[in-house]
Amino acid sequence: MHIAEGFLPPAHAVAWGVASAPFVVHGVRSLTREVREHPESTLLIGASGAFTFVLSALKLPSVTGSCSHPTGTGLGAVLFRPPVMAVLGTITLLFQALLLAHGGLTTLGANVFSMAIVGPWAGYGIYRLLRRFDVPLMVAVFFAAFVADLSTYCVTSVQLALAFPDPSSGFLGALGKFGSIFAVTQIPLAVSEGLLTVLVMRLLVQSSRGELTRLGVFLTKARPRTGATGRADAADAADAADVTGTTDTTGTTDTTGAVAR
Amino acid sequence: MLPIDAAAHSSRWRRRHPVDKAVLGLGLTVLAISLPPWPGAALVLVTALVVLLGPAAVPGRRLWRAYRVPLGFCVTGALPLLLQVGGPDGFVTLADGGPVRAGELLLRTSAASLGVLLFAFTTPLSDLLPRLVNAGVPAPVVDVALVTYRMSFLLLDSVRRIREAQAARLGHTTRAATWRSLAGLGATAFVRAFDRATRLQAGLAGRGYDGTLRVLVPPARISARFTLLSLALLAALAALTLVLERPLR
Repeated sequence: MHIAEGFLPPAHAVAWGVASAPFVVHGVRSLTREVREHPESTLLIGASGAFTFVLSALKLPSVTGSCSHPTGTGLGAVLFRPPVMAVLGTITLLFQALLLAHGGLTTLGANVFSMAIVGPWAGYGIYRLLRRFDVPLMVAVFFAAFVADLSTYCVTSVQLALAFPDPSSGFLGALGKFGSIFAVTQIPLAVSEGLLTVLVMRLLVQSSRGELTRLGVFLTKARPRTGATGRADAADAADAADVTGTTDTTGTTDTTGAVAR
Repeated sequence: MLPIDAAAHSSRWRRRHPVDKAVLGLGLTVLAISLPPWPGAALVLVTALVVLLGPAAVPGRRLWRAYRVPLGFCVTGALPLLLQVGGPDGFVTLADGGPVRAGELLLRTSAASLGVLLFAFTTPLSDLLPRLVNAGVPAPVVDVALVTYRMSFLLLDSVRRIREAQAARLGHTTRAATWRSLAGLGATAFVRAFDRATRLQAGLAGRGYDGTLRVLVPPARISARFTLLSLALLAALAALTLVLERPLR
């Protein structure tokens, strides 16, 4: 759920744009550096953006029986890292505003802040924290997607509460009102997105181990990265083999048990 | 192709420069959020509708299908304004002036959305994106956006076909099957996106790819007449709002 065009007063729209700018500029600079060093990355990052766009268009059955769309921010952050997600998220939100009438141009800054900055960073933060404590990959992926989704909608509630404080109880009352609509109702959807992300990741581990290794998804400890797409070295490949428990690249081996150890 | 982009490609204003349409469409949006909702946003809403259905010749049904999406968010988001939390009359009560505030918000949002829709329904992204370089957006970001744009349609088409194939194989008959199918859909989209990027890269490398994606942009010139008329219309709307604001309050 994006904040619609014109929903925020002009001062708030500008302020959220200013707040988002440093993160987007940082993402743009790292993306530009990556593309200059490795021109072929343009196509891979563009493909990642298309994947993010398509992922957000999938219909997700909620555990309450309703239906919604995943944000894709958790999976995107785990696969492509938050700085790249800031750029890809901005591009995706721009496309959604102009191609689907979801969100808007004056509210782009606010939507970028919640969906392309806070969501990915929160999801990626919890993912790295859990992996640091050797929590199984799929558990970490679930919480990354859950936290990214929920934090996105919590920030949306804060943005709306700041724009429309309650006449009696001010910001806190408004936060309760908007939170009960946009954040609390999102909990079952966040669980759904977490489950879906785990299922997607399990299939990716089986079928696209090479890409995941190159993106550095299998790393369990902090390692220096060489670019925006997270190019991995031979050590990463060893990590991947370690995590999946096999070096088979055909994707025919059942990796579930090894991954969940 | 998505309905708004398809309409933009066959729009009567397709050959106009994006700056012309941005001045009018986005100008209306800026007016909608800057002017007092009554009567400013109401005037903007009527003007945008007249331009969309008149000179721009956007099909009414397509416009409604796109317009109801932001309206859904607006109605949901305006509901909390009707209530207040705390106060002497109870924990949750009807807010004084809540309906007026909610109505003004709905008016402002619906008018602003129409301004953006005017731009979106007349300007294909393929015309807009390459020109963003002239607006100061770094070329690598524009290249990534172009690849994302072009690949999105192919991926959406793939996803639609896969979903049909899954449905034909009873992949959506039970809740468990639906989840499995959905996960397969997401994973396949990832695999296909990267596979397509790799093949595209190999093809471009064979053609001397140097890191920049050059695309043909349909030639168009900024029309001084159209832009001046648009600015005059925006100025007239602002003036009319200021004139009418006091008598209508």
